[in-house]
Amino acid sequence: MKISVNTEIALTYLSSRKKQTVVASMGVMFGISMFIFMQSLMKGTNDYFEKSSFSSTSHIRLYSENKVADSHMLKGFLIDSSVKMLTNPKQLKQSQGLNNPYGIIRNIKKNPQVTYVTPQVTAMVIYSSGSVTLNGTVAGVSIDEEDKMFDVQTNMVTGNLHDLNRVNNGILIGKGIADKLSLHVGDNITVRAGIGSPMIMRVIGIYATTVKQIDETKSYANIVQAQNLLGKDRSYVTDIKINIANYNDAPKVAHELETITGYKAEDWVQSNEQLKAAFKIRAIILNSVIGVILLVAGFGIYNILNMTIYEKIKEIAILKATGFSGKSVISIFLQQAVYIGIIGGIVGIIFGFGITLMVSRIYIGAGTLKYLPMSFYIPHYVEAVCFGVLTTIAAGYFPARKASKVDPVTIIRG
Amino acid sequence: MENIALKASGITKYFHDPVTFPVLKNIDLEVKQGEFVSIVGKSGCGKSTLLYVLSTMDRDYEGKLEINGKMATGSTLNELAYIRNSSIGFVFQFHYLLPDFSCLKNVMIPGLRLGKLSPKEVEHNAYEKLKMFGVEDLALKQSSKLSGGQQQRVAIARALINDPAIIMGDEPTGNLDSKNTRIVFDLFQQLTKEFHQTIITVTHDDDFAHKSDRIIEMADGEIVK
Ligand SMILES: Nc1ncnc2c1ncn2[C@@H]1O[C@H](COP(=O)(O)OP(=O)(O)OP(=O)(O)O)[C@@H](O)[C@H]1O
Ligand SMILES: [Mg+2]
Repeated sequence: MKISVNTEIALTYLSSRKKQTVVASMGVMFGISMFIFMQSLMKGTNDYFEKSSFSSTSHIRLYSENKVADSHMLKGFLIDSSVKMLTNPKQLKQSQGLNNPYGIIRNIKKNPQVTYVTPQVTAMVIYSSGSVTLNGTVAGVSIDEEDKMFDVQTNMVTGNLHDLNRVNNGILIGKGIADKLSLHVGDNITVRAGIGSPMIMRVIGIYATTVKQIDETKSYANIVQAQNLLGKDRSYVTDIKINIANYNDAPKVAHELETITGYKAEDWVQSNEQLKAAFKIRAIILNSVIGVILLVAGFGIYNILNMTIYEKIKEIAILKATGFSGKSVISIFLQQAVYIGIIGGIVGIIFGFGITLMVSRIYIGAGTLKYLPMSFYIPHYVEAVCFGVLTTIAAGYFPARKASKVDPVTIIRG
Repeated sequence: MENIALKASGITKYFHDPVTFPVLKNIDLEVKQGEFVSIVGKSGCGKSTLLYVLSTMDRDYEGKLEINGKMATGSTLNELAYIRNSSIGFVFQFHYLLPDFSCLKNVMIPGLRLGKLSPKEVEHNAYEKLKMFGVEDLALKQSSKLSGGQQQRVAIARALINDPAIIMGDEPTGNLDSKNTRIVFDLFQQLTKEFHQTIITVTHDDDFAHKSDRIIEMADGEIVK
């Protein structure tokens, strides 16, 4: 292999000043490993929260939304060409149910992105046991499909969720409800939906999520039971829950579903605004920390190269006197910066991976969160190296340019 | 007709520290190819200053400088760097080797920079040059660990590596004993006679000066003879 003179000189300078080289590389290494660590932590956390939000929310929820009256609705009554105006429009009450839900489901399933579709009957209810009452909602579902989509099984505290299929009036209640009404598996609970007549149901299981509010209000029943509770027929469905292959496409798919079904399709991004806000805030914090670290590492390189140039000013003069151009001198010093960046980058990757691995073993043990969520994501490592090398080049360029401007005569004349 | 290796006309230079005074006053100088010229004069008369101007390193002067028939005055920094690299070998008054490199590397570096020959060939030539001055045994020694005279000989070897048309020396034998001074002189003479290289050297050694082809005597920034 033929290496250029510039490279040879750059490498000689680096190796004849091992201490400075090591110190500068350590700065870069530190920056890059922190970069990787922080990115892994953030992505891990974000992924965790995203996933845990999907343990109770589907990617897309289709439901019937009340509409505000508008002047188009007058067309049916006033067929002439007069201009229609409507003052003070109000919400129109719509039926809570979806028209022809199973037809809609068949339609939705045609979308290649969609992986799971399941109907649900949501009923606002009052639970009571003895003289104590509690507000909440019953989700009438097919428990097998619900389990496939949301992994209800992992949240089970006691009981068997499949009993919901076997026990006629079975109900699976949250731990909060069970505590407040002091219920156990096998106990009876009275459930009443709005104006409908009360129904006595049997607790077949208790579940607990990490969200207290869900545990204190939500329970699962068979979809037929929920329909009975509301006094509705078998075709009554309030929500259709949809999961898709890539949840980041949810807004797009939701829009498509809205246009083909005519109902409101809410994607998880809309229903989890606070989650997105948290992601954004974390990203800002992270980026400022990384920015500062890289800045410090960059200043380290800048300083060290500046010092090198100060010490080597005579040698730069000799190089220029023997015919090295300004460009060659820039190349010599910029290469030193790049090698420092590469050494620091490689060690930084290894170190960053090490820290990430170590931290991912830290036990947390809160709710379903056992260990600190860390992601091992290759693009982070690539990004880290790119950033590191860019920083070193930026930091090395100014001292290198200064070196190229050295006037050989003034130095050699002494 | 003999070719002109270097032609300077009306070279005037001022220093401004502490007060503005002329160091070089309207100097005209012509050196033919293959000529061996010695510049002599009292200390402080401006010999080194003139040599820096002639070597294209110093650009802060009035007048015109031609090297090998090409106008150097007004050329860009890159062009001048190339001229120095390919056509001028310079031996400084104080030796000025690169202390981090071996003697061999020091000699090789301008050759590698020029890139006309492969590194292998440059290395071979560098060895040859070191051998001429009897320092080939020191080839792999770090240059900062040499004696003054040894460093000076390595520096002369470096000046010769690209077989430059013009070799300039600022007291190249200042640190050498009489035996080595003679070696350098004989070698310089051989270079001018056999290879038509041009030598311009500042010296305080009268003997050395008198043996050369031409003596240029300076006093107070002017050529007096
Ligand atoms: N950077 C400078 N600023 C101001 N004056 C300078 C500078 N460099 C040299 N001089 C002055 O210019 C004059 C010529 O200096 P120069 O180095 O050319 O002398 P020289 O003939 O080479 O002497 P020597 O034989 O001692 O090497 C001297 O009087 C010196 O003091
Ligand atoms: Mg001098």
